[in-house]
Amino acid sequence: MMTRTAVPSRGEAALWRRPRWRTILIWLVAIIWFAPVVWIVATAFKPRADVFALTLLFKPTLHSLIAAFAPPFLVGARLWNSILVTAGTLVIALPASTVAAYAFSRFRFPGGQIWPLVLLATQFLPPVIIVIPLFVVFKNLDLLDTRFALMIVNLSFIVPYATWMIKGFFDALPPDMEEAAQIDGASRLRAIWDVVVPVALPGIAAAAIFSFVVSWNEFFYALVLTRDHAVTLPVALMSARTEQGDAWDIMASMGLFIIAPMLLISRFVQRYFVKGLVSGAVR
Amino acid sequence: MKERYLKYGLLAPALAICAVTLFYPLMQSLIYSVHDWRMSRSPVVGAFVGLSNYADLLLHDPDFLNSAWVTLVFTVPSVALTIAVALALAVLLAGSGRLEVNARMLLVIPFAMSPALIGISWRFMLSPEFGVVDTMLKHIVPGLGKAPILSDPTLAMVALILVDVWHWTPYFMLTFIGALASLPQETLDAAQVDGAGSMRIFFEIVLPQLRPVLAIAVLLKTIFSLKMLDQVVTMTAGGPGAATETVPYLVYTTAFRYYDIGYASAMAWLLAVVMMVLALVYSRFLLGRKT
Repeated sequence: MMTRTAVPSRGEAALWRRPRWRTILIWLVAIIWFAPVVWIVATAFKPRADVFALTLLFKPTLHSLIAAFAPPFLVGARLWNSILVTAGTLVIALPASTVAAYAFSRFRFPGGQIWPLVLLATQFLPPVIIVIPLFVVFKNLDLLDTRFALMIVNLSFIVPYATWMIKGFFDALPPDMEEAAQIDGASRLRAIWDVVVPVALPGIAAAAIFSFVVSWNEFFYALVLTRDHAVTLPVALMSARTEQGDAWDIMASMGLFIIAPMLLISRFVQRYFVKGLVSGAVR
Repeated sequence: MKERYLKYGLLAPALAICAVTLFYPLMQSLIYSVHDWRMSRSPVVGAFVGLSNYADLLLHDPDFLNSAWVTLVFTVPSVALTIAVALALAVLLAGSGRLEVNARMLLVIPFAMSPALIGISWRFMLSPEFGVVDTMLKHIVPGLGKAPILSDPTLAMVALILVDVWHWTPYFMLTFIGALASLPQETLDAAQVDGAGSMRIFFEIVLPQLRPVLAIAVLLKTIFSLKMLDQVVTMTAGGPGAATETVPYLVYTTAFRYYDIGYASAMAWLLAVVMMVLALVYSRFLLGRKT
């Protein structure tokens, strides 16, 4: 409990001084919320016989991970699909959202402030309503079970939200920045690219982290629109529910790949993903 | 004049994306909803049936009425509990001590986890053959037999609600911590000087000032709860029976298991209307706070 001493020395308000019950409670909360993450990581490395045991002490093995890469689970191919779909989505979504956010932030449109809000409000619609017609379209175009279809669908929830998030950052920048650059003879587009975008980069980074997390985790659209070729990692989880029962060790191995990037970039996720969500939705 | 080209030009890519992926599907599903279209029988839209899909849903379909009830039974406690637990955790973890900061950071990870993965991992932890939750419950309530939680209608719903609360609490907790930090420190200090206990300070000074934030949080969580779907698919698959068959899940099975596209679209639109009303209230809130 060496962390306990850190608080009073800073001279915090008495309201936050931490008695022992509070320390215990915080630990309990941390355990409840982190248990599934620990379970996934532990189970992925457990020998098959220990998967159902409660023990945390075991000889780690790569057996489950190797089995997950073999047919019929093919985690390698699923992982590759997830990477390509997420990358493709971001490459299209971020530039489109950035310029749209700039336009919303700097120009007046008929209807005023309503349009960015309409964009945001579309995100409150249930995904099932969007996916039915898109399923029909992709079926008619013979695009079902393709990564391209998934990228297109992912744009539907990433572009509106990313635009909203980046707009918030542009709103905070003084408009005379690019005006000054224009007086120096630069065209408006040049001025945006050279002056505004670099300053707004933290906002764009926040939107990028948000888009990455949401797109990487996306499950429902991929469940409906893929069958085999374009299956992403979250949907692959369902394939481990076989006739002979649930292959938990395989699921855990897949889960490991799904959360690994979140754990790697957890600092940024903490700073940008949640802050972006919080500021976008509530402020 | 040049500026006009520029402003609409900048907007064009995003607008095109939204037109293709949002506005077109919305309108199209509205059209499907007034047609009879069983895709398993015909590859093209069938006869125009007016509002009869809607009438059937509201008047003659016990499955839909059940799913509406299930959605309500899920939504009300999940909203109330999420907000309450998040508020409690916000007060618990708002400090700037190292333990608090680390705990906050830890809690973000499960929130950033794929909802599908959350559903799967809780399904495992709740499963009778593994039963970590089972075993722990037996220690707390002795004499409790092996409880196959997800095969009991009531317990499955309770589990679904608690997992949802577990999922969303970190997000709303961080929202509330932000709001707590922006409260004026003077009134808190004054109350403390006056000798008010921390319970009284919380309920009489802090809570009233958080009201606008709480209102928005309740609204947002209601929307999120109404459209929650991934965990139903991965944890309970609507079961046992139809005990956790929410409206979004029923739309999903109607459209993609039975391929009754017209009927499913009508169902989706009924849900969407409710959400649109909530979204409108939410937009008013945001616009109202800006001015």
